[in-house]
Amino acid sequence: MQRRCALALSAAFIVLLLVATLTLMWGQYPVDARTLAGFLEYKLFGGEALPQYALLENIIVQIRLPRILLAMLIGAALAISGAAFQAMFVNPLVSPGILGVLAGASFGAALGMLVSEQWWVVQALAFAFGFVAVGFAVMVGGMVRAGRSSIMLVLGGVISGSLFTALLSVVKYVADPYSTLPAIVYWLMGSLSMADLDGVALAAVPMLLGIGGLIVLGRYFDLLSLGDEEARALGINVARIRFIAIVLATLASALCVVMAGIIGWVGLIIPHIVRMAFGPSHSLLMPLSAITGAAFLLLADSVSRLALSVEIPIGILTSLIGIPVFIIVLKHARATWN
Amino acid sequence: MELKPIIEVKNLTFSYPAHQVLKKMNFALYPGEVVSLLGPNGCGKSTLIRLMLGLMRGSGDIRLDGAPLARYSHREIAQHIAYIPQHHSVPFNYTVAEMVMMGRAAKLGFFAQPGKRDREVAMEALRTVGIDGLASRPFGQLSGGQKQMVLLARALAQEVSTFIMDEPVTGLDYGNQMRLLEMISHLAGQGKTILKTTHYPDHALLVSSRVAVMHDGHMIDEGVPDAVITPEMLRRVYGVEADIVAHRDKNWCLPHFRRVCA
Repeated sequence: MQRRCALALSAAFIVLLLVATLTLMWGQYPVDARTLAGFLEYKLFGGEALPQYALLENIIVQIRLPRILLAMLIGAALAISGAAFQAMFVNPLVSPGILGVLAGASFGAALGMLVSEQWWVVQALAFAFGFVAVGFAVMVGGMVRAGRSSIMLVLGGVISGSLFTALLSVVKYVADPYSTLPAIVYWLMGSLSMADLDGVALAAVPMLLGIGGLIVLGRYFDLLSLGDEEARALGINVARIRFIAIVLATLASALCVVMAGIIGWVGLIIPHIVRMAFGPSHSLLMPLSAITGAAFLLLADSVSRLALSVEIPIGILTSLIGIPVFIIVLKHARATWN
Repeated sequence: MELKPIIEVKNLTFSYPAHQVLKKMNFALYPGEVVSLLGPNGCGKSTLIRLMLGLMRGSGDIRLDGAPLARYSHREIAQHIAYIPQHHSVPFNYTVAEMVMMGRAAKLGFFAQPGKRDREVAMEALRTVGIDGLASRPFGQLSGGQKQMVLLARALAQEVSTFIMDEPVTGLDYGNQMRLLEMISHLAGQGKTILKTTHYPDHALLVSSRVAVMHDGHMIDEGVPDAVITPEMLRRVYGVEADIVAHRDKNWCLPHFRRVCA
């Protein structure tokens, strides 16, 4: 049992490293494996600099590396938040997108751009309104007494998402059409292309905190997914654990929006795929969802920058991949839910 | 008998917005007892056990080992009492071993992971209820009887001596009902304290040291099974005419079956 977990995790991690290495090589200017190895050796251990290393420094370290790191970070954060939300609400149909977190965070971030030049204000407001959005979704979902059903919470999320999308339009409407509005619109379309190492490093700290925290809470998600009453009877302080989990999952997924706009479906489909392959135990599901999500978004981003001569916005691509995958998952998943 | 009760309920009142369920209820559970809680649908049996487990709050006094229940955290309550709900479906299909391992939650530190001893306790619990062969099977694919045994094993993995069961045999077939009752009787023989709600007076006669009867928000009668389960009680509580018949040293209920005339 333990060995199987360790094996699955290390296998997934090796696959992720492999994908990351490949994506470092792929691009408008392809870098072959030998050149990459030589360059990495030079960067890590020093040695003789070849003439093309200045160019490689620019392409690999300045352009591709931050983008790859950001893609992995966002994929991991969205997937693990999705797994967390699904367990804590005992509902396999929810995700950061469906619960309105992403819409709330985008409103918060746009509001932040409107009122402040400070990057941390944008991050803080994105998190705050992401949190308000989940709270609102849960409140609406629980209002009907027969509620607590999967569909009511999904409906609550849809309503919450629409509310914050509407509020976002208000922000756009009042934003300065010459400076702030273009910035908001451009950012909202969602792209990983603006990644730079400093920006990624700044967002990485809170995002890794969220991801790490959710992995540590792993086994509590097993208990939460039994329902409030049973989890309490087994000795869990449900309200406290769920609050911590919502904060962590919202932190991780709201910052994804700040960094790259709205990227849907990852948080919904990745946990289902991992669950179908490795079972639902959250001690394994949480870290494995993070790794799989990272690899998935890395590949999707590679397609987005390589498939056509112009870049396809990543959010569109994850939807195009996510929707058919989710339909297949829905057909097969009844066995894993009931 | 100068035993101190494990759980003591005094003047307990509980209302839902629409109606009052419990009216100044008194009840006590003593060490080593097997108590069957009888009463018609909606009389508040489940409400009473939820209140005793600290899952809901009513007004009145509930004590666990002499101290007010409200002072205990859920974790501390789970270190005293194991709750066995009616078997149900779980949205994610954990294996039997994973389900039973969740019984260890109240024993583990906040950041601790289950260790070797926890796995041993879980396996031992599965052996006790006789389903260790199912350890790696998905819970969702088990029969109702097997699911109920898994929930019982999970309660055993909590390593407590008091068990509260909500209609443990409801929904099980005849064979599984008997096997579950035998298991309850086996646990009682090991000195466990058990409180179970039931809809079957016969089952209360089979495995109980005491029977408590709830009706209309009150505890109307309590005592040894043979004294409490009488034709008068069955008439009053269930509206059924029945004879109590002795067979092989046990009492059994034989209801009068009336043909409904159109």
